[in-house]
Amino acid sequence: MKIAADRVLGIALIGLAAFIAVQAVQLEMPFSYEPVGPKAFPVGLSILLTILSLVMIFRPGPNGQWPHKALALKLLLVLVLLLAFAVLFTQLGFIVSSLLVVTALARLFDATWGKALLTGVLMSVIGYFLFTTALGISLPSGYWFDTFI
Amino acid sequence: MFDFLIDGFGVALTPLNLGLAFLGALLGTLFGALPGIGPINGIAILMPLAYTLGLPAESSLILLAAVYTGAEYGGRMSSILLNVPGDAGAVMTTLDGYPLAQQGLAGPALGLSAVSSFVGATIAIIGLTLFAPLLANVAVMFGPAEFFALMIFAFSSMSVMMGKDPIKTAIGAVLGVLIGTVGIDSGSGVLRYTLGMPELYDGIDFVVMIIGLFAISEILLMLENSHSTDNDGELPPLGRVFVSLKEVLVCKGAIIRSGLIGFIIGVLPGTGASVAGAVSYTTEKRLSDKDNTFGTGDMRGLAAPESANNAAAVGSFVPMLTLGIPGSGTTAVLLGALMLYNITPGPMMFTERPEVAGGLIASLYIGNIVLLMLNLPLAGVFARVLTIPRWVLVPAIAILAFVGVYQLHSDLFAIYLMLVIGVFGYLLRKLGFSLAPVILGYVLGGLMEQNLRRALSISGGDVGILWQSGISLGLWVAAVLLLVLPWLVPKLLAGRKLSAG
Repeated sequence: MKIAADRVLGIALIGLAAFIAVQAVQLEMPFSYEPVGPKAFPVGLSILLTILSLVMIFRPGPNGQWPHKALALKLLLVLVLLLAFAVLFTQLGFIVSSLLVVTALARLFDATWGKALLTGVLMSVIGYFLFTTALGISLPSGYWFDTFI
Repeated sequence: MFDFLIDGFGVALTPLNLGLAFLGALLGTLFGALPGIGPINGIAILMPLAYTLGLPAESSLILLAAVYTGAEYGGRMSSILLNVPGDAGAVMTTLDGYPLAQQGLAGPALGLSAVSSFVGATIAIIGLTLFAPLLANVAVMFGPAEFFALMIFAFSSMSVMMGKDPIKTAIGAVLGVLIGTVGIDSGSGVLRYTLGMPELYDGIDFVVMIIGLFAISEILLMLENSHSTDNDGELPPLGRVFVSLKEVLVCKGAIIRSGLIGFIIGVLPGTGASVAGAVSYTTEKRLSDKDNTFGTGDMRGLAAPESANNAAAVGSFVPMLTLGIPGSGTTAVLLGALMLYNITPGPMMFTERPEVAGGLIASLYIGNIVLLMLNLPLAGVFARVLTIPRWVLVPAIAILAFVGVYQLHSDLFAIYLMLVIGVFGYLLRKLGFSLAPVILGYVLGGLMEQNLRRALSISGGDVGILWQSGISLGLWVAAVLLLVLPWLVPKLLAGRKLSAG
């Protein structure tokens, strides 16, 4: 099982190397001042990557433990949360989006509802003023709120 | 000859820079103490914020360098108290540190590690002061061909020294170099691997790359680790707070030898604190472990890797400042930070931007003293950081990562890219890759290609220029030897044994 992961990776990397080489060869240069040009380096790298991947396919190394099902689901949830954070960031603004996401993240990492909510409120509000006033970063206040303010 | 250092102290002793060194030392110790947030993560998270403060280049480098050295100090906290190394450099610290803590000697162990760290770092800073200008003088003679050979050497030494699996280290480095080729090719103006996305024309932003690769992948990894360690919130008693002079003197040989070993290993490109810790520990075990006490709570076994990993952290500044070749993953990140300020580290930095080179070196002296003063009396306070629950830590990292990337261009594309890179980094780590070669490849790849093309432009396409000069030929030979010897020597030894038997 562990060994298989390295072999699959090796094959995927050879595919990547082929993609890189094909893309590089297809590059069209209007003119060139130098003997090497932009193609040679990526092509060389793809050859190197292919050789290294072949070695790995024939001599696979140790892997980490893959997460079991329940954990994989949690991982996916964290990813979805981060993605939601990105989507909501400008829509709802920094304070509301981070309040929601921080609370949910804290819950996922085994905090109680009360603690999670408290973390969410404190981090989003203190964070907002720290970043905007102390560090001078402009953060989105949210399209949604702009209409009210 | 040491004018740069005197000027450097002039820079480092301004109230702003002094304050930043202090702040960096404090933050670094905290970041280093938090399990999972090592020096690279600390710097990755702080770098964009330092950039928004509008600090001059030398000031933000002083801040980040103090975070780096501080994190090496902080890494020992969780190693000694919880048997969980805070970063790769602190792995060897657990071997004798944790048994000491179990014997009720956690306080003296923390004190001893602070003193060892201080001495090791001091040896290395003096080494840096002496050797960096000399090396810079040699490096001024480097042309593109020599730089190209040097990078080949750096990559081969990295493959051999870093990580357990040389093939995966090499693949990681190649992937890093490939990521660096995305964007407009500076030599010809051709678009490479942008997949038709205009946001990628300028390449993958450095900040997006390191925050995604380190901070986001760490969040995902923490989810798994939170179930494997149950000792959250429980610390062993510290015992007496100070280490006695007698205990330090017992270790003085180990501390000084390991400081020297650590510095030399740190100077070699591609090898960092983790290698230094391991080498110094095994050396010291061989030299002075007469009663087989190493691994059961021997103070010397704690002092050696602590001295060495701090010395290596400082030593890796030598190739970064003089050659522009980072000695470790973290200095690769610092190198990228300098590039944000349009400063290309290298031999010319000592003459063209002496305030940056000198100021940094001077601030290392100051930061080191600050760290000792902070760490000796406040070990108990810093140890409390270990009890911060993950449900506070993870959302905080997420917010810092998002804000750090968002403030770059105020657009969401960078954030999506950061998440993609984060998943990529997570998968690599699960597949047994270490991330330091990836970031080194990403930082060095562009320079490598530029130098290769410049060299071949000079020679009109003749490849021979790459190994024409003595320096470059020597580097090529050294690179090949490094790759071949670890594979060849055991076979030769085995062959001799066979023939002898």
